Amino acid sequence: MSAEHKEHPSPKQYVQIAIVLAVLTAIEVALYYTEDIVGVFTDPLLIFLAIGKYVIVVGWFMHLRFENKMVNRFFAGGMILALFLFAIVMIERATGNFFN
Amino acid sequence: MSSGHNYPHESTGVETRKLGMWVFLSTEILFFGTLITTFMIFKGRDFPGIKLTDVYDIPFTSVSSFVLLMSSLTMVLAHNALENSDQEKTRVWLLATAMLGSVFLAGQIYEFTEFYHKGFELSTNIFSSTFYVLTGFHGLHVFIGVVFLIGLWAIGQRQQGLSLDSGFNLEFIALYWHFVDIVWIVLFTVVYLI
Repeated sequence: MSAEHKEHPSPKQYVQIAIVLAVLTAIEVALYYTEDIVGVFTDPLLIFLAIGKYVIVVGWFMHLRFENKMVNRFFAGGMILALFLFAIVMIERATGNFFN
Repeated sequence: MSSGHNYPHESTGVETRKLGMWVFLSTEILFFGTLITTFMIFKGRDFPGIKLTDVYDIPFTSVSSFVLLMSSLTMVLAHNALENSDQEKTRVWLLATAMLGSVFLAGQIYEFTEFYHKGFELSTNIFSSTFYVLTGFHGLHVFIGVVFLIGLWAIGQRQQGLSLDSGFNLEFIALYWHFVDIVWIVLFTVVYLI
């Protein structure tokens, strides 16, 4: 129950969070242009950064980390179902079933 | 300082309208999840006609992404101002959010027009169709969000101002707006960068 009593960030903290998001976006774009140097790590790093930005916006701007557990479960449920669908289709794609 | 609310009178402990909003957003995740999955089936395959990588402009889209990210900041500042009962700041931040959303939309329209003139059309191939359906539906969501924001701003202009308890609630519009932002965070990476 403690999560329900956490205080929301202050305007100053919101600005700091936005700066972090802007920096992460700048790193993403930099990674795109340095793909020749970063090599095979580019895509995993881009996915990692996107997940980081996603978690920051959902957790702090949407206040999910301050919400009731039930709200968290509903949102996580949608995410899990979507990722499950994505995984199944990508496995099918990898086996070439869509293009035979 | 504001904090998360608990509703002991509701059997779930969460305000029903708010829980409904989160369930709606959960279904929206499935909607965009399906569109992204469809897009990914065809990404990287060879199709006749011009390729997306031949027409897109990463610096331009990066600026658009930055604009949408910053609109999430102005949205959360509007929410914070209303929690502190500052009606004037709430209206200012709402209008700023609507303007940033409009700039993003204008950028998307410009981008689509450029793609179209370069030959990357909706009917060029199945991959271009999935691209326009995916990014177009996101743009439609941004447009609906801008309409909601302007509606809220207009309500805020009235004498009694905005309230977090009213039916057309800033908190729910804020959740919707941030959701539109997180969808773009995923699309920017999946569609443009990877």
